[in-house]
Amino acid sequence: MPAYHSVFNNDTSVRQVGNIGLLPINTKIRGPAPLAADPSQPDIIEESLDLFRANCLFRNFEIKGPADRLMIYLILFISECLTKLAPTPGKPSPGYQEALKLLQTQAVDTFALPGDAGFPLNSLYHPPANRIDADALRSYLTQTRSELAIRLVDRLYPYEQVLGPDGQPTGQVGGRANKPSKWWMSFQKRRFMGRSLSA
Amino acid sequence: MSRQAPLVIDNGTGYTKMGFAGNSEPSFVFPTVIATHQSASAGSSNTSGGSGARASPPIAGKPSHLASKRGIEDLDFFIGDEAVANSKTYSLHYPIRHGQIENWDHMERFWEQCIFKYLRAEPEDHYVLLTEPPLNPPENRENTAEIMFESFNVQGLYIAVQAVLALAASWTSSKVNERTLTGVVIDSGDGVTHTIPVAEGYVIGSSIKHIPIAGRDITYFVQQLLRDRGESAQIPPEDQLRVAEKIKEDYTYVCQDIVKEFKKYDADPYRYFARFAGEHSVTGRKYDLDVGYERFLAPEIFFNPEIYSSDFLTPLPEVVDTVIQTSPIDVRRGLYKNIVLSGGSTMFKDFGKRLQRDVKAIVDGRIAGSEERSGSHMKSSGVEVNVISHKRQRYAVWYGGSLMASTPEFYNVSHSRVDYEEYGPSLVRRFSVFGSAV
Repeated sequence: MPAYHSVFNNDTSVRQVGNIGLLPINTKIRGPAPLAADPSQPDIIEESLDLFRANCLFRNFEIKGPADRLMIYLILFISECLTKLAPTPGKPSPGYQEALKLLQTQAVDTFALPGDAGFPLNSLYHPPANRIDADALRSYLTQTRSELAIRLVDRLYPYEQVLGPDGQPTGQVGGRANKPSKWWMSFQKRRFMGRSLSA
Repeated sequence: MSRQAPLVIDNGTGYTKMGFAGNSEPSFVFPTVIATHQSASAGSSNTSGGSGARASPPIAGKPSHLASKRGIEDLDFFIGDEAVANSKTYSLHYPIRHGQIENWDHMERFWEQCIFKYLRAEPEDHYVLLTEPPLNPPENRENTAEIMFESFNVQGLYIAVQAVLALAASWTSSKVNERTLTGVVIDSGDGVTHTIPVAEGYVIGSSIKHIPIAGRDITYFVQQLLRDRGESAQIPPEDQLRVAEKIKEDYTYVCQDIVKEFKKYDADPYRYFARFAGEHSVTGRKYDLDVGYERFLAPEIFFNPEIYSSDFLTPLPEVVDTVIQTSPIDVRRGLYKNIVLSGGSTMFKDFGKRLQRDVKAIVDGRIAGSEERSGSHMKSSGVEVNVISHKRQRYAVWYGGSLMASTPEFYNVSHSRVDYEEYGPSLVRRFSVFGSAV
């Protein structure tokens, strides 16, 4: 059983730039992305977050379609975010509010597109055909990255359960955790396909 | 005439399992290691004895070389756990490498203590059942027979192939309704995993495959996951490996799907995450740590070796399928029907279930493919895939030996002392399968 693929690979109605599929997402952030027809269904962002921990363990991945390329990009972005939040000597991991701000800045920060010199997967991605396409891709990715950052922080800082005197959860929900979940942070050093966005 | 129960001794690369036939568990299980006083260079080879030789430089006229002392130092050795305990003052030797006996002198002394010191048996009153790996050269069997008959003067000897005994052990499973000696044995210990096809008691040597992933790798992988998560800061450095091993043994299981399993942990963390409590082996300081995804990721390296190793990438189900596909065509159905697990590293919960599902998926995929290529003219009746796991899996080989040696026909198929005296060591080249008529 090899690594997991996106379920959106066979969706042919999706617009492609280069060979990345610009899939619809659920978001409140403004941008060019098409909105998902049914907001209750998981979109590509949800899928990437779900598959992140499993796929991170794999070094080999066979790309099966345009949606896989978007997913790879998002998974690598998640890795990048985790690295941002990792504690460094003298500086512990930030709390929820600070992390949210940090990652939102990170999401809209300048980043390399396929075809640019700094892009890590140039052998697998086609560059956009022209400037208009490149701009469309950039604003689509910016929007997707921002939405992903919000959802990621939500998962990294779960609401803590209130524990009863016996150490078992009482069912009540307390405040957000004050540092990112170690169950996610432990995947920070693993590199999906041996790549990362920053290198 | 009442006979004493035969001795059953299974010498593996890592551990020796021994006891009396008819018992359900071996009486002794300890590492196959011998600690001798002499420097390693005097033992077998001059190349390997670096540390031993340096500790005591050979000085002429040293008392230990006096003729008067000779004969005593011969007896000065330990085996098994005692050998490990004395490793500071003695040098350790592992007489078995890759399943085969490499140092006959050490092995003879090892057996000597096995029989006299541990089993406390008189070998001349007992039959002995020993085990051998598949593809053991006949010369090794001859050497073994020579030692057993001439040094120990045993009543009779039978040398059984480990895989065949593992098959016999699976007869205790409720899933088995006919007792056959045809099947694939997956034997996973600490160092290496073997998949061995056996047809009617004979090993199909050309199709055997080895997988370089076994118990020790799983322990390392658990350790790596703990380290990635920063748990290992809690554990004293000298206990790291032991803790990883303990977590492997007590908490892990095989899941059906990694992504689904991750979601289960997210949905109900208090049910799935566990807490491990340990104690520092020297200072007695208490510590505890969380046990999480390694619970299902650890055994996953059998099914997705990619997540652990970068040079071996074939999943176990695929290896099993290849082994069967390279075996003679007329036994393949029987092999698929009887895939038997043996050894400690196959003890993970649901290991058999997952293996069966994955092998079945490969087989069904192939059948569907060939049906389609025939233009849907041919319909297959399907191939039955069964993975057998049972209660005696951990010491399956020994248990199979115990089972076999307690049947009356054991005495007919084993080689007796009288025969040995008549024909000599070449006697054991003849190999009679037994159990086929049981």
